[in-house]
Amino acid sequence: MFETLRSIVSSITAGYADIRYECKSETKIAFQGRELFHVGSNTTDGFVIRVLQNGGLSSIAFTRRSDAERAVQTARDNALLMSEHTHKPISFAETEVIRETFQPPLTEDPRKLSIDEKLLIIRHYNSIPLRYEKIVTTFLQYNETIREKYFVSTEGTELREDLVTTTLSGLITSKEGSLTQNVRVAAGGSGGFTVLRHREDEFERKSKIALDLLHAKPVAGGVYNVVLNQDMAGVFTHEAFGHFSEADLIEDTPSMRERMHLGSQLGNEVLNITDDPTLPGQLGFYKYDDEGVRSRPTPLMKQGVLVGRLHSRRTAAAFAEALTGHCIAEDYRFSPIIRMGNIFIEPGQHTLNELLLMLGNGLYILDAKGGQTSGENFTFGAQYGYLVKDGRLDTMVRDINISGNLYQTLMNITGVGNDLEFCQVGGCGKGQLNIRSCHGGPHILVQNVVLGGI
Amino acid sequence: MDALVSKAEKICDQAEVFATEKSSDTVSFENARMKNIKSSIQSGIALRILKEGKQGFAYTKNPADDELIQNALVSLQGGVDGLFTFPLTRDIPALKTYNPHIETVSNTALVEECSRVCELLAQRTQGQINVSASRSVTSINLRNTAGTNLSVKSSLYALTTGILYPHTSASLHRIFVSKSFEVARNDYIDFLINTYNQSTREISSPLKNMKVIFLPETVHVLMQRVRSGANAQSIYQNISPVSQRINKQIFDEKLSISNDPLNDQLPFARAFDDEGVPCRHFPLVHRGILKNFYNDLYFAQKLNTAPSGHGFRSGMWGGEPVAIKPTPSLSHLTIEPGTQSFDEMVHSVDRGIIIAEALGGHSGNIPNGDFSIGVSPALYIENGEIIGHVKDVMATGNIYSTLNTIIAIENRVYPSPGGTFPALLLDTVRLTAKT
Repeated sequence: MFETLRSIVSSITAGYADIRYECKSETKIAFQGRELFHVGSNTTDGFVIRVLQNGGLSSIAFTRRSDAERAVQTARDNALLMSEHTHKPISFAETEVIRETFQPPLTEDPRKLSIDEKLLIIRHYNSIPLRYEKIVTTFLQYNETIREKYFVSTEGTELREDLVTTTLSGLITSKEGSLTQNVRVAAGGSGGFTVLRHREDEFERKSKIALDLLHAKPVAGGVYNVVLNQDMAGVFTHEAFGHFSEADLIEDTPSMRERMHLGSQLGNEVLNITDDPTLPGQLGFYKYDDEGVRSRPTPLMKQGVLVGRLHSRRTAAAFAEALTGHCIAEDYRFSPIIRMGNIFIEPGQHTLNELLLMLGNGLYILDAKGGQTSGENFTFGAQYGYLVKDGRLDTMVRDINISGNLYQTLMNITGVGNDLEFCQVGGCGKGQLNIRSCHGGPHILVQNVVLGGI
Repeated sequence: MDALVSKAEKICDQAEVFATEKSSDTVSFENARMKNIKSSIQSGIALRILKEGKQGFAYTKNPADDELIQNALVSLQGGVDGLFTFPLTRDIPALKTYNPHIETVSNTALVEECSRVCELLAQRTQGQINVSASRSVTSINLRNTAGTNLSVKSSLYALTTGILYPHTSASLHRIFVSKSFEVARNDYIDFLINTYNQSTREISSPLKNMKVIFLPETVHVLMQRVRSGANAQSIYQNISPVSQRINKQIFDEKLSISNDPLNDQLPFARAFDDEGVPCRHFPLVHRGILKNFYNDLYFAQKLNTAPSGHGFRSGMWGGEPVAIKPTPSLSHLTIEPGTQSFDEMVHSVDRGIIIAEALGGHSGNIPNGDFSIGVSPALYIENGEIIGHVKDVMATGNIYSTLNTIIAIENRVYPSPGGTFPALLLDTVRLTAKT
């Protein structure tokens, strides 16, 4: 494949060009209730070319090798068109030239397991919630995505890296009378199939929560002090803070760029946040990004002070800051954009019990149910929670959605737990779907959070 | 395709081949300056086979017939039900879905139109301006062993314009679509400028007893819950709150919702779905009364009813059409326009909030009809005028109560996320804020 890519990229007359070829294999198994809804394995592939010429940058994705000549011409024409209309010529930050083939360490390569064995395991997990009368249905999906990536640039970089992602995700739905409740279930990672074995306890635990929610009280809308569990803390870090750390989102928004300048005290001094794609075994692990830049741990906040941000080669040059290796594409249909790898709040000193005592009265909120951000505003849902009275868990509550302002909330995090955990299934939809977007955190105590209720 | 159908027919009872081709160009401006230009040339092919009541499914981007058939056979052995029959569909309505002029529009023209829109807005407003223009041509071909041989070619031009509020990426935005390139009309520009300029002041106000207007751009939050309730999949799984409510009043009588795939005034009209079932005008809710559930071949068979022509290959987060099996989908959802203009709706409100962008519409208990969204921006109305915006607002409710008390529906519809909608003026949405 490298020979083909060298041939195409060498035909491009430009200051800089790169080409990425990906072969993507997907195995999917899905159950809806007791019925098997989908099973199969398929392979697709395609190319992405980027051209940087006279300060204009363009990209084109194409699937047929026979379209390469047309694609090269289009990309070059578009780069020149942009160079004629851009007020600020684009340049790329310097990066090392690398020639390497990297295979991630796997504890159990899913490619070596038969689809029948996978089907047996998923069927077993799906049967656990369906033993309960009031669990009316499930949706459970096994996704195995293997991206074999080849990258060649005119600078001489030639890379091959495989990304192997195995996840199990779904929804357990309970019903009593006209009331329907659901909880999500998720397991997986980038380290092989082993992480999906022996997960019966997780399905039992989530089944019980789905049943308990039928008797939980809807939370009343209002402003609360809360303790967020690890998954919720991770979603907050991703949605509220992490997206603002992506340089492409603020590069051309002067008012945001002004507020997000390095050295600003944006958060409470108990808060330290890092993005580190190099953490082995975590969902967001990778060695090289889709610009051929080596990934590296990137501290973003230290004691509440903004100390870094996530970059592509384009934004690192525009901000005159160091490369971080965070420019990632969903697959061969897209040119890369800046994405988080493994973003997390670093662990602090407190146990969960200590945080609940510090909270006194409020809410303990657990397990994320989707989120979204728009500039400084964020909203995300939780699967369930508990009222907390005098530092002790009281009744279960449901229908929890949190909304807030990034800057106020960062200042309002007043306690950080010592129990860091990372999510096992991702899914960030910033224009492209990043199934390896990983977030984590310990329990955190947050003051004055707006809850919508229903 | 015909060769693939013939090969597949030899190893199964029935076969269907679905193929797509799409080319697109997108130009985007941020802060009124050119930021990106991207192009794409994509193709793909999917095969479904039925044998002895089971179905197999496979897809690829670069056709390799033998591999595709082998993958479909492996899938078939998994045992997924396939008790339905691929239809024989002929004599479908001829729709005007493709304007060849789109092929002659240069990317330079897209850049110039974005520049023109930026300049027009910059002359009359202080907010940051983001604009993108794109064009695409999509072809779909469908064959099956019943003899169906259908194709459609569609063209799309889309312009999206947003004006950002300071220190945020919250914006007032609107999309314009057509089957070929058109310069943006004055009313499109004027709405954005006037509404933005009226709402720039940040206001702190208690949010009790407020009326709420969902802009067309945020009506999808409500319609996503309607989609869930009326989906044959929800009926089959016994999780729809309205499974027993056909021909019963479920919403305010002002509300009529339908799927209108034959409307070729808009891009992407369709005379057949992605399974070859004819499309038709399909009322879901007529004057507040639930009229129909929508389905695909799979769930029509499961529910022992006729297919309604709503089997489309679409996912919640986009995705590659050939890689997605058809599922029940409302591809062309619309709400019947009401009687008031947007300005009349605003003038009728003493105190209210306009939901211009909704955060988290995809989360919460969707099957139950619940919504709980962050509103950013939340435009503030007092004494019939938009006078600013309020920060940190959440709007919550349940569609089966909220859509029972509709005050007014706007008298025109706009292409929006998830369909073609008017603005809705509602009375029973609960609002929460820090103020």
